[in-house]
Amino acid sequence: MNMDEQALVLQIQAGDEDAFAKLVYIYKDKIVNYLYQVTGDYQKAVDLSQETFLRVYFKANKYRPIAPFSSWLYAIASNLAKTELKKRWRMSLVSLEDVPPAVEISTPSEEASDSGLIKNLRQALDTLSPRYRIPVVLKDMEGYSQEEIAEIIKRPIGTVKARISRGRNILKKQLDKARTGNVSFQKKEIFDGRF
Amino acid sequence: MEDSSLLNKLNRVTAPLDFESKVMAQLAARRKALPQMRRALRFRYSLAGAAAFLLICFVVVNMFVLQKGPFSEFAGRDTQGTLNPKEFVPITEAVKYSPEIRQASYEPKTAYILEQVSDASNVLIRY
Repeated sequence: MNMDEQALVLQIQAGDEDAFAKLVYIYKDKIVNYLYQVTGDYQKAVDLSQETFLRVYFKANKYRPIAPFSSWLYAIASNLAKTELKKRWRMSLVSLEDVPPAVEISTPSEEASDSGLIKNLRQALDTLSPRYRIPVVLKDMEGYSQEEIAEIIKRPIGTVKARISRGRNILKKQLDKARTGNVSFQKKEIFDGRF
Repeated sequence: MEDSSLLNKLNRVTAPLDFESKVMAQLAARRKALPQMRRALRFRYSLAGAAAFLLICFVVVNMFVLQKGPFSEFAGRDTQGTLNPKEFVPITEAVKYSPEIRQASYEPKTAYILEQVSDASNVLIRY
């Protein structure tokens, strides 16, 4: 673990707000970006990030330096994101049968540009179940190892490997569908409500 | 995997400029509200504790304090000699067996054995 961070956490445990402000400064962009990739909503990501840091401050005494501080921080952020997605899923359950999916897949002509592909990828990621989305984002965007992800999401490493693999496969299938112009998939096919 | 490297191409976002100040403002507000929240939590716990205590008291009082003596049954009373035969009016009831007899064609033969099921002395029961 980074010694500076460890010293900062010790200071936070003693109630030092300056140390807390430094920690916020170090991690704010990473956490906001991570939560944005998971929730797909920037404003919600900012709100959840603020809540994440507040929890870090008030629960600092519960932190044990057996794992890197960042893993603990990402675990808090992941739990908040999961709760938010669960809430959103419950709210969408009522109208899921009637309302067409809010997924807009670009046409094949748009795919010629990189932005079209990225748009498809963004939309595919937004429809991916959180149980796959969180490990995939942590692995492929945040650059965490499988062991660290297992630490963050509190699951065995085998489960993490399986979820990353399955999540990538689902994303790949969706992108292939988008490439061929077959956009008939439903949101509920991808996200079954399991977290 | 080809698509996993694509994920890196997704737009990365940064925190808004006033992010830190907002967090620090929320921290101050929550710190201020913390004693009140703790008091509310303590009140809730003490309320739950009081309710649990009352329930336990109710159970204990019912089990040990308001415990009634052993029930004497009718037959038992007879054996203790507390019954006065004069208190009972003998009733002779005519029993009509005809509705009790069912068709033998669809039911197996059944032997009805009538026996005394009460432990009371048969002096008190008149058929």
